[in-house]
Parts: sequence; C-alpha cells; structure tokens
Amino acid sequence: MTHAIAIDRLHYRVGTAFEIRDLDLHVPAGSIYGFLGPNGSGKTTTIRLILGLLRPLSGRITVLGDAMPEQHARVLSRVGYVPEQPHLDVTLTVGELIDFQRAFYTRWDQHRAAELLAAFELDRDRLFGRLSKGQKAKLMILLALAQCGDLLVLDEPTDGLDPVVRRDILRALMAYVSERGATIFISSHLVHELERVCDWVAVMDNGRLITASPMEKFKHGIKRLVVTGAPRDIVDPPFRILAREAANGAGESWVVGDWDPAMQSYIERLGAAVREVIDLDLEDGFVELLRSFRGVSR
Amino acid sequence: MFHGIDPRSSIPLYAQIAERIRLAIANGTLSSAASLPSVRQLAAELRINPATVTQAYRDLEEQGFVEIRHGAGTFVRELAPGRRARERSQQAVTLVRKLLAEARRSGVSLAELQRALETELGVKTA
Repeated sequence: MTHAIAIDRLHYRVGTAFEIRDLDLHVPAGSIYGFLGPNGSGKTTTIRLILGLLRPLSGRITVLGDAMPEQHARVLSRVGYVPEQPHLDVTLTVGELIDFQRAFYTRWDQHRAAELLAAFELDRDRLFGRLSKGQKAKLMILLALAQCGDLLVLDEPTDGLDPVVRRDILRALMAYVSERGATIFISSHLVHELERVCDWVAVMDNGRLITASPMEKFKHGIKRLVVTGAPRDIVDPPFRILAREAANGAGESWVVGDWDPAMQSYIERLGAAVREVIDLDLEDGFVELLRSFRGVSR
Repeated sequence: MFHGIDPRSSIPLYAQIAERIRLAIANGTLSSAASLPSVRQLAAELRINPATVTQAYRDLEEQGFVEIRHGAGTFVRELAPGRRARERSQQAVTLVRKLLAEARRSGVSLAELQRALETELGVKTA
C-alpha cells in the first residue's frame, strides 16, 4: 500500500449549493499531509467522505487499502479521527470516556493512554462537560492516539486553542508518528503550524482541489518576482503566472508558480529583466494561489 | 542549539537542523562521541516531522560528522584535525554572505557596511 488515502474522480453533491467535483487526492503512506482551504471549501466534507460518513455520487475512495464506505468497519478500527467539534457525552468523566472508547478498539494501548493522561495533565474524575476547550481537545487527541491507528484524520485539531495546548498536542502527535510511522491527514487554518510538520500539502477551494504537492516543492515553486520591461502578453510561459501587477517604483510584481531558477533566462529572452526573486512562505503562497484560482474561475 | 529555526524560511528545515548541529560540532558544544537526541525526542521537542530529523541526521552522516548506529542512536564522530576549524570558516563565509545579501536588499552600500563593522569592532581595519 503506497497510499494511505486514495481518492479518484470523486463526485459529491448536497442540494444545489455545494458540490465536490472530480476530486483526485493521494496521500502517501507515512506522510504528514496538510489539507488547506478557506471555510466552506469542502475540507470537512472531504474528511467525512474519507471516513465513510458520507456517500459519494460517484468515484472511488480507498483508505488503508480498503474501499470506503463498503469496508468502513475494517477501516475505522485502524483510523483515529478527531472531528472539528468534540462529540463526546458531556455527562461522562474523562476516565469513563477512556474506558468506553477502549472497548471498541482491539489495538487499544492503555499504557499510552495513561502516559498521555499524565502529559496532558487531565483529571480522570472530571466530567467532560466541565473541561476547558483545551482539555477537551487534548482528550480527543488522547483517544485518537491510544487506539493505535495507522492513519490519523484530524479536522482542525488545534485551531482556536492557546499556544501552550497547541504545543502539547503537536508534541504528542510527533512522538506518536516517530514511534509508529503512522500517516497523518490534518486540516487546519494554522498555516505556520502545518508548515512545521507537514511534508505534503494540498489546497482546496470551492469543492475543487487547486494543488497537491510535497511541501518543499510547493514552497520552492512559488516566488514573487520583480520584473522590468516585460511585454504585455506572455504566451505559454514554462511557469504559471498567478498574479501580475504594477509594483511601486519600477517594473511589475509577479507571483509565479512551478518556478525554477533556470526559467529566469526565459524572461530575459522576452527582453525583460528579473530584478529580484523573493521567497514566499506557505501562507503567502497559499493566499496567492487562492487569489489566482478565484480570479480565473470567476 | 535549535533556537530560532524557521519553518517559514526557504531553507528546508532539515538543512537548518543539520547546520545547527554542524556548528555545535565545529565550536565544540558537541564533542566527539556525544550522542544526538533521538529522532523521537527532537521531533517532539521541535514539533516537526520526524522524517525531517531523520533527513538531517542522514545528511550529517553522509558528510562524515555523525555515525548512525541502528538501535543505539546517533553519535558525533572523531573528526580529522582541522575539520572543526574548516567548518567554522565555512560558517563565517555563510554569515558574511547573509549580511551582504541583507545589505543589498536594504540598499546599504559596501562602504557603509564596512564603516559600521569598524565602529562595532572599535578598530580601523583599512
């Protein structure tokens, strides 16, 4: 199994307001895969399709080598899932919730559960409903990790949490991955956090996948250029021009995708000059990519 | 040792980590036979992908700075005489390049840079 998650030609629609079209997504086994996109772009819907909680109109979803949703019982016993909103019974205590969850998972690792309970400073006797937001999030992570899955699907697990809790959670996740070599599929708005941990990144908008690539390739391929003397029309460039606008001062500011330093000579052959090549971080790249995608699709 | 590593930089994280360790070896913070933190430990501490740490350690091994003993850990190797000093000069070159690039970006001239350097050091070098 080379892909922990494989989605091919997926089509899903609910009502007329929203649909996911022609989705192809391949998550390499062992990767930490960041899933980015604005609110309402279809991230949570995609995650629910992956877990078999929704049924596609057409297309194929394979998770850990098994077809979804047909094999969901087999698959879900090996998948740890942390939904956007905790869905646990507020009238149970932390300890009761751990024991309850444990009963469903044959691979449950009680030692890890105890370790995380201590590391997260959670009180076994406290009611779930009385926990703070951060404590709830930590318990959800504990439950997902103690079931020892080969795949963790995390829907905005640290968004809206304070930095101390986010640190604790990421630390636990990274320790888990180093020990078990599991795959993590993680959606988040905290782009800098994803930039730290992910080796793959995909961007979704309006039900469509805009890009999916290894993190380093994504970051290397997106640059801001300061260009002077460029002709108005550029036909079939070897890179993608995501944005082009007049820069203050001289020349123009371009944002390019699929860039390679060797392509500078292409611009020079057009009689233009590249004054500067500026690196963009994941957040800038993400924003520029969205901007360009929306400009084209509108 | 890893203070200020920057995931947003265009320099990949594994390269930044390898550089920090090389520097620590060059300046003696890490002596021969010292053991590096385990992959799990460092990945958790820095909250980064374990694969990034593994890649950094592999690069260091390829460059002859460390030895990965499977199951035991990663250890600083005995370095040939002069290697530490060479690594430090290499680092000096890197620092100067960074400084020059930054100066160019902010429009500071070479003469201005040199004057500032002399003032900081309190000596006239020319």
